[in-house]
Amino acid sequence: MTNLSLADLAGYLRQLGEGALITLELFFASFALAFVLGVLIGVATLSRSRLVRAAWRVYASIFMGVPSLLVIFLIFYGGSAMLAAVLGEFGARIDISPFGAGVAALGIVYSAYVAELVRGAIENLPKGQFEGARALAIPPFIMWGRVILPQVMRLALPGLVNVWSFMLKETPLVSLAGLQDLVAAAKIAAGATKEPFIFFVATALVFIAFSAASLWLANRLEERLDRGQRRAPVRSPAQAEA
Amino acid sequence: MIPRPHAAEPAAEPAILLAQVVKRYGAHRALAGVDLQVRRGEKVVICGPSGSGKSTLIRCINALERHDAGRIVVNGIALTNDEGTVQDIRQEVGMVFQHFNLFPHLTALENCMLAPRLNRGLSKAQAEKLAMAHLERVHLADQARKYPARLSGGQQQRVAIARALCMEPRILLFDEPTSALDPEMVKEVLGVIEELAASGVTMICVTHEMGFARRVADRCVFMDRGEIVEEGDAARFFEAPESERLRHFLAQILR
Repeated sequence: MTNLSLADLAGYLRQLGEGALITLELFFASFALAFVLGVLIGVATLSRSRLVRAAWRVYASIFMGVPSLLVIFLIFYGGSAMLAAVLGEFGARIDISPFGAGVAALGIVYSAYVAELVRGAIENLPKGQFEGARALAIPPFIMWGRVILPQVMRLALPGLVNVWSFMLKETPLVSLAGLQDLVAAAKIAAGATKEPFIFFVATALVFIAFSAASLWLANRLEERLDRGQRRAPVRSPAQAEA
Repeated sequence: MIPRPHAAEPAAEPAILLAQVVKRYGAHRALAGVDLQVRRGEKVVICGPSGSGKSTLIRCINALERHDAGRIVVNGIALTNDEGTVQDIRQEVGMVFQHFNLFPHLTALENCMLAPRLNRGLSKAQAEKLAMAHLERVHLADQARKYPARLSGGQQQRVAIARALCMEPRILLFDEPTSALDPEMVKEVLGVIEELAASGVTMICVTHEMGFARRVADRCVFMDRGEIVEEGDAARFFEAPESERLRHFLAQILR
């Protein structure tokens, strides 16, 4: 059925595997950046300062409105020039790799979505949570870390799982800036062997497998964050008497 | 003035001193120049119609609300805009809220341990010992490992009281501690507060529980429209109210 030798197939699949590793590295690095930036921005946008709120609106409208691909290209092709302009004569010329551009672009774009989720979750927390912490003289930094953000993560988790899935599906865009990721490897293999079906389906299976693993992880995390949130089971009157 | 025999420090400064305290929300004056002094160890009950400023008053004492004018001194510390004095005052003052405000992701024990570990530098073992002692005091040692959602309203409020006690405050503020409770749970919470009252801590309690006020309060304060309208010892306060506004209020709630 095919003129592809087993040795060739194995070679291409190994390349696919290497590409998959790069895709995962790109994904984890971008998600980590989006998460950290997004939480910081989400907390910052609660500030009463008009300047901060205006800056947030501009940030959100740019990065939620402009296609991710454009942001990747802007950073990849324009990033070196921007850095040179900022660093001036002092900085050595810094070349931006496709990987670096991808992490920066996806991280920044998705930080806007994470920030929106975090901000919404914080606003949905009862004010009493803040007051309880303040009345106990818990310093603000620890209040956020120990009291507020753990509850925010629970509220924001379903949204964060969505961001996670969307982001994973957008990672192949970085191959258009020259990153040799999973989809790039599949494209090369498909072109060279004239067997697009095998390699693209294999690639799809990798994404599906990763998605499934993510969902499993998300459910475990949800159970953990839900600790203590379920109401007591309704007791029968006999038990209540006891 | 005849010195009271149990006054440990002669000419002791008041535990809480409020002088001409004003709090505005926009054009509305929630507190219109309130003067109040609370002696060390005194139990004061504040009552009044909703919107009278009674919650605002006690929330100004630990700076959950910032007052706009006047002077607030707590255990000799004058409340200023400086974050340091705010934290100092909050270390001295425990607060119990209408809606408990327990941290839902922490067990009863963890709720009690958090602040002492951070603010008083206790080790985990020390904090746990302290927390268990105070949970014991509110008769909930057996529920220590449960999350708040697993406890009844009355139990949650008692955990909240234990949590405030773990800071070993010299002053306790109660902001309508039983208003969010089902009737059958009011008694257990008031019982715990009465036991605390016997321990000599200074206490201000905003409540409409008049039976509790009679049993516990050294002094009752009636507020209306941001002012203290009348104050007096519990018996006279209920039996012989002087102002028309207090008579009207008592008629409303004692119906």
